[in-house]
Amino acid sequence: MIKLFSRAVIGLSLLCSACAGPTPNNLSRLDLIQKRGELNCGVSGKIPGFSFLQSDGSYEGLDIDICKAMAAAFIGNSSNVQYRPLTAAERFTALKTGEIDILSRNTTHNLSRDSIGGNGLTFAPVVFHDGQGLMVKKSSGINSLEELRGSNICVGSGTTTEQNLNDAFQERNIAYKPIKYQDLNQVVAGYLQGRCKAMTSDRSQLAAARSGFREPKSHVILEEVLSKEPLAPASAGGDQKLSDAMRWVIYALFAAEEQGINKDNINSKLLLANSDPTMTSMRRFLGIDGELGKKLGLKNEFVVNIIRSTGNYGEIYERHLGKNSSVPIPRGLNNIYKSGGLFIAPPLK
Amino acid sequence: MQMNTRSTYIKLIRKNFFSNKLDSLISTVLIIFIVWSLLKITSWMIFVANWSVVSNNLSLFTFGSYPRLEYWRPTLWLIILIFLTLITLFWSKKGILRKYIPIAWIGMIPIGLILIGGGLGLTPIHSRQWGGLTLTLILTILASVISFPLGIVLALGRQSKIDVIHKACRIYIEVMRAVPLIAVLFFGQLLIPLFLPVGLEISRVLRAILSFSLFVAAYIAEDLRGGLQAIPKTQKEAASVLGFSPIQTMQLIVLPQAIRTAIPSLTNQVIGLLQNTSLMAILGLIELLGISRSLLANPNYIGLYMEVYVWLAFLYWAVCTIMALLSRHLEKQLTYGRG
Amino acid sequence: MKRSKDFIIQIATYIILIGLFSIFANNLTVNLTRNNMLINFDWLKSPAGFAMAESALPFKPSDSYLWAIIIGWLNSLKVIFSGLILATLLGLVTGVSRTSKNILLRTLSSTYIGLIRQVPLLLQLFFWYFVGFLSLSNSSISLLGSLVSISNHGIQILGINLSAEFSALLIGLTVFTGASIAEVIRGGINSVPMGQWEAFRSLGISEIMGISKVIVPQALPAILPGLTSQYLNLAKNSTLAIAVGYSDIYAISDTSITQTGRAIEGFFILMVSFLLLNLLITEIMELINKLILNSN
Repeated sequence: MIKLFSRAVIGLSLLCSACAGPTPNNLSRLDLIQKRGELNCGVSGKIPGFSFLQSDGSYEGLDIDICKAMAAAFIGNSSNVQYRPLTAAERFTALKTGEIDILSRNTTHNLSRDSIGGNGLTFAPVVFHDGQGLMVKKSSGINSLEELRGSNICVGSGTTTEQNLNDAFQERNIAYKPIKYQDLNQVVAGYLQGRCKAMTSDRSQLAAARSGFREPKSHVILEEVLSKEPLAPASAGGDQKLSDAMRWVIYALFAAEEQGINKDNINSKLLLANSDPTMTSMRRFLGIDGELGKKLGLKNEFVVNIIRSTGNYGEIYERHLGKNSSVPIPRGLNNIYKSGGLFIAPPLK
Repeated sequence: MQMNTRSTYIKLIRKNFFSNKLDSLISTVLIIFIVWSLLKITSWMIFVANWSVVSNNLSLFTFGSYPRLEYWRPTLWLIILIFLTLITLFWSKKGILRKYIPIAWIGMIPIGLILIGGGLGLTPIHSRQWGGLTLTLILTILASVISFPLGIVLALGRQSKIDVIHKACRIYIEVMRAVPLIAVLFFGQLLIPLFLPVGLEISRVLRAILSFSLFVAAYIAEDLRGGLQAIPKTQKEAASVLGFSPIQTMQLIVLPQAIRTAIPSLTNQVIGLLQNTSLMAILGLIELLGISRSLLANPNYIGLYMEVYVWLAFLYWAVCTIMALLSRHLEKQLTYGRG
Repeated sequence: MKRSKDFIIQIATYIILIGLFSIFANNLTVNLTRNNMLINFDWLKSPAGFAMAESALPFKPSDSYLWAIIIGWLNSLKVIFSGLILATLLGLVTGVSRTSKNILLRTLSSTYIGLIRQVPLLLQLFFWYFVGFLSLSNSSISLLGSLVSISNHGIQILGINLSAEFSALLIGLTVFTGASIAEVIRGGINSVPMGQWEAFRSLGISEIMGISKVIVPQALPAILPGLTSQYLNLAKNSTLAIAVGYSDIYAISDTSITQTGRAIEGFFILMVSFLLLNLLITEIMELINKLILNSN
């Protein structure tokens, strides 16, 4: 019996020694991703144009391509990504607990989420500038928020959308009833079936949803924009190596569009730069000269890997949200600064 | 006393449906209701419903985002499962088969895990990529297999004379039974990682399986307690007179009887578990219900939820009914074994 | 000898339990410190910043999280208690129907039980809400004169408005739990000896009178424990409200956790709420049990 007892004590002390104190954890998540050879990317999986499920079980969309670009840069292979569909409610916890490495899920960048006293995340640059809007049936004749006084409004719960709606209506002192659902297609169902006079979401999502309706023309998105919604990928805070790498992957996507480097011409550009030592900035960008990649903890040719797998930002946009896509949304602000948009990449030097 | 069949029928109908005024009224209302709803349902199913959302996505419902090239693996497993079910239900009375069927069922678990998860020369497929009906079945089977021994331990612990064990088990069982499953699953998906040492990762599917097991074990323990209490004390006394040690008594005499008594409620737990795996759809796993909700976001299928829900209801109903049949079969076999 | 053995096991168990507990507590502290999220309940006082479509007491977005959680609690209680009553009625009718002589009634009720108990409640809720309510039109359909009217905004009974979310949840819970209660009641009725049936029938007492005055009172002691556990199931299942957009305690906690990031604290409150709720239902049922045993 004493034997058993002593065994229990020894076993217990062994267990405890494994957790004696805060384990030193200086390893960056980026090293872990590279060691694992796989990127865990949190996505929505339920937003047309950004991330949605195909019949063959794969995901597609702008958010998905951001994950792919990251994987191409971090690991060198854009198909080594595990997508994890997350609900709006669980996304930050999933990031903090290490369930996912990066979050690419239509997430609005704001102070509370960024700051150490708030959710404590670190955001990469914005990949889509959105704004919250309201959609109503054309037949209702509603043109302004004021006309929605006392009405039901369908909204996704636990999102900034819900808070914005509340702020906008409270500011104007308009009473309303929120009907809250868990995801966008439920919001759409509630709205289409007449449970609510209006539905609210980011304008891109409204447009995306509308394009799937049987009669898209009988619905209008109100002019009024309730909020600005800069959507950006994020990582858990306090990991400079990973967040720097993410930041410059996005900038590389913008810079490539700016310089006219795309999936089709990347090989010829590479050849050209290789043979012409005078193209210093191009050589640096493509990793022939200098150590831009190494400084980030990536391979020097990370930009080439990105462009080969997803193309530049413009190409990604055209594929999923462009004129010929199933969810056409005009580029507007989501263009590089030279074409009148908001995207500008600091120099890759 | 010959009667012609026609009047027998009429008599039968009268006796069963129209024996008095109230009965006639109820029957008439019911007949109208049944005919009306059957007509409505059939006309919707044939003329209105757009079944393409189901027929185009059968593989998605079955496998989720499992890699396309490896579809044969879960398919093989499902086929074996169906085959085994048929054998159990229809041919199990034939001598040799009867002996091997339980072994075959137990064997299905490791075979399924290897087929779906990989190993033994098959490419490993991470549990994140499991989905659809396959994932629903895996969750159900693994969680019931884990929760069963755990439930036994808890039930015995609750009977223990040692105060602290007794109390700990009791508190565990009562707290688990008091809280809603979705809260336990929420804990499993979002909070367990906070209680683990830094750097230790448990996959999401495994965490779901653990949460289900921990939850169901408390219910199994309660069902077994009923069984344990039903066994007369005299049996224990008899066993100790015969020189059985307390552990032997438990193992050979008390537990088998308790389990046998509890079988109907235990199988109900398993069926309940299968249905409850659908809760993972709220927490982001793409099991049968989850994958369907994702599918409804595809621009091609927006608004077809009625079709999807009807199809899912049918699938769940079919699987649960088969499981209920199997369990009734098991009960019968065990009672035969007793006689 | 036996005594000392038990004592050692007892001590060992204590050590193991305390050890496990401290390991988890330690990990939790490490993880929370790493994320700068030490446990703190101050957020309960800050404004919730979300609105609610329905609440038993007045609620504005500027009210605190604590108040929001209390409202969630009340919303839960509302659906649970109305569910209890309706499910009991439905279960009673169905359970008695299953023992009826009318084959049609018997088959219909057993089909209902067989179907409902083999389909997940969550799916049924989706069905009641998205297919049942939302596919109705905006203009309401009147039943029973104009006492009850139904539209995709919910049900209106005698001037009382029930939202579509509440109604769908209530119907879903009622129909689902009713099927299980019916089984409990059938089991109870079957436990009454056949002689009792023959006795009241031979006395010329009508079927309904006989069942309600003779059979059910005798079946009650066998029914009550099963009934209690079905009630507790209903209460727990009411947390699926989140699927149909009804603001119950779970939905409110979920939103609060997302907005504040206070997962541990929010979860703790949720757990305590449910332990209390459980206690409440069990106590009430025990009281009823005692009353019935006394009156018998």
